[in-house]
Amino acid sequence: MSGKGMKARSDVPPADESGDWNGESALSRFKLLFGAMFREEWRLHKSFVGSIGSGFFPVVIFFFSVVLAITSPVFLKNIDMSTILLGLHLAALLYGLFVGALAKIGEQAMTRRLGQVSFLMELPKFHPVSLKLMMAVFYLKDAVFYILYSIIPLVGGIGVSAALGRVSWLGVGILFVTMLLTFLLGMSLSFLLSAIALRSGAAAGAVGLGILGLVAAVYPLGMFTPGQLLFPLGFWEGLGLHYLLIAAVLTLLLSVAAVLAMRERPTAPEERYGSVLLETEGTFSFAGTLSVLVAKEWLELKRSRMLGAVFTGFLGPLLGIYAIVWLFQTGLSVVLDFNIIFYGGLIGFFGLMTYSWLTNIEPNEFMNVQPVTVDMVVKAKLVLYFLLTTPAALGYLAAIAVINGQLAMLPLAATVAMSTMVYVAAITGRMTGIRTNTMLFDAKVLGKFTASIVPPLIIATLASFWARDEPVISTVILVVMSVNLLVASKFIFDGIAGRWRTEPFGI
Amino acid sequence: MPAIMARKVCKSYGDFEALREVSLSVDEGEFFGFVGPNGAGKTTLVRILTGQLAPTSGDVETMGIGQSDPLGIRKRVGIVPEAESPPTFLTAQEFLELICRIRSVKDVGEKVKHWLDFFQIHDKKDVLCKDLSKGQRQKVMLAAAFIHEPKLLILDEPSINLDPIFQKKLREYLQGVTKEGRTVFMCTHILDIAEKLCTRVAVINRGRIIAKGTLEDIRAKEGEHLEDVFMRLVGNEEPETAPVTGTTAVGKKGAGGKAATKTGGSEE
Repeated sequence: MSGKGMKARSDVPPADESGDWNGESALSRFKLLFGAMFREEWRLHKSFVGSIGSGFFPVVIFFFSVVLAITSPVFLKNIDMSTILLGLHLAALLYGLFVGALAKIGEQAMTRRLGQVSFLMELPKFHPVSLKLMMAVFYLKDAVFYILYSIIPLVGGIGVSAALGRVSWLGVGILFVTMLLTFLLGMSLSFLLSAIALRSGAAAGAVGLGILGLVAAVYPLGMFTPGQLLFPLGFWEGLGLHYLLIAAVLTLLLSVAAVLAMRERPTAPEERYGSVLLETEGTFSFAGTLSVLVAKEWLELKRSRMLGAVFTGFLGPLLGIYAIVWLFQTGLSVVLDFNIIFYGGLIGFFGLMTYSWLTNIEPNEFMNVQPVTVDMVVKAKLVLYFLLTTPAALGYLAAIAVINGQLAMLPLAATVAMSTMVYVAAITGRMTGIRTNTMLFDAKVLGKFTASIVPPLIIATLASFWARDEPVISTVILVVMSVNLLVASKFIFDGIAGRWRTEPFGI
Repeated sequence: MPAIMARKVCKSYGDFEALREVSLSVDEGEFFGFVGPNGAGKTTLVRILTGQLAPTSGDVETMGIGQSDPLGIRKRVGIVPEAESPPTFLTAQEFLELICRIRSVKDVGEKVKHWLDFFQIHDKKDVLCKDLSKGQRQKVMLAAAFIHEPKLLILDEPSINLDPIFQKKLREYLQGVTKEGRTVFMCTHILDIAEKLCTRVAVINRGRIIAKGTLEDIRAKEGEHLEDVFMRLVGNEEPETAPVTGTTAVGKKGAGGKAATKTGGSEE
């Protein structure tokens, strides 16, 4: 995308001495930059996984949603509509928060990954374009792109329910509007937090604490219903049409505040560290010939300040799921018998996020001229992945076991967790190498990946449900599954070299 | 055994032919210059020679090792890539230590110190590579290519971003390398450097070699500088309609000059 992305710069008209774009109106500047950035985003996606892979991603989302819509009466017969709506809107909010954060973290990470390549976002450094304008365009571009790329296909799939006569077309239309507003609300909130964080970490932390306080006011304090704060959901709670208007205005205000709060990037100070590579290599000597690569990965992880993101990416969703289950069971009186074996299965799946972060730190292009192959680096990343996630995973399981009084199940849950972690890591390394984040946007890879990891996840989930009534059968199934996953992992690990040995480093 | 041997190497990207039947041979101890304008195919050939890229057709051997063993090639060769890209979050010293460990170099501390001193970046040894200037990053990349004292150096625009003092220092070092019997293959479009250093040169344009030999061989007249040769060969080349193979560029344009070699043909 680089070359084409850079080419888009020539679309930008020259500024006169006062910095004006030769009388171009603000709207026309905005349109010009928006078009160029949108093309850049699309070409970036295409450069990772090709036109077909990029184009098929929304198609996959659509069919996934269709399948959910068709099968939902079976799965969700015990859950009322208000719970489903709460779940959908919470998901849209989290997705918005993620996309909004990506505008900051993602751009930094991608700039590092792409090395020499520069984005249009770099224009303000060298040209008379304000960073505020660029951020406004960037934000809107991301919103439109991800709405087209995922929200519309998702709601479109739910629309199949309307075609089947289960819900009204009007209902689907309103759902689209409320989910869209929720997504935008999350995105603008995250965008504002990012902008504030660039000025003051403490201020961003204070705002974040304030938001957590509001969440606490909904639950467990019960001072508000979820819809009274998550305004689009308020419409479904019968609070009135004006809740949609409030959500729209609030989104606009947060976005404007974020743009205004954005500060021109200060020049980063020079960072110095005493050499600790060889010492760190000694720490990881158990990794044999990979030890120096593991040491390198570890130092890069620490110094890039991504360690927090890695842990958040792993523990965040796990804590989130525990919180949702807890909310449903205690707050909404929905009977969901999730024991720690269920969490054990999920741990493996969310390990994917950790590995994905590890592949986002450094493009390693210098390795192309060294006697190092991509599969060596994949294995080094996997060593680090296990070192980071194993204690966190076991600690998480042990904590839930204590809280839920299920310590007897802990050995089995730990076995399931470790075997699924090893298996998912093997599959991820084998299928995505050092380009996890981008390869999973390739519909073909995503399809294979899903087909590989969903079956064991379903088996682990179902067997965990049977653990109470049929403990022996459940245990046998889980042990057999775990052994099979470990054996399969061995073969998959062995295949990593064949798949990645001749691939170049970089994107 | 030649240090580098390429026979009728072609590389295509769809309809675009990046290399067209490129053939050349570089002997051990030679200082070989590979010159050409931007986008002529220099970096593509470097990537093929160093096992980073497979040719569409043709054979390549680097230090006697074929394309089937790219790791073997990279073990034996010191390579400076076109763009400097040391790792973002390692310091200059750590990067060189990493290279030493990867390449099983002995006396790591001593070697690293020597090269940090050689390029006068000792005061920057604790700085993360991302915070180094372009010139400093290039020095680090050069040190990483030299530190294991390989028999063959393949350098893609090595003096880019270096100030004149270090360009001179680099030239002197590379001359010393060939005096030791080691080989240097250098891509450049800085013709002055190629003229001063190289025992032989090949000129590439639009993916095909249009001239090669000693400077004496490719001069049209006595005293002609490489820049004049280059302008005569490359500057006068007709747009894309130029024949792919079989025409002697020098013969076509260089009236009265010595025909150096055939375009796209085999090694003379």
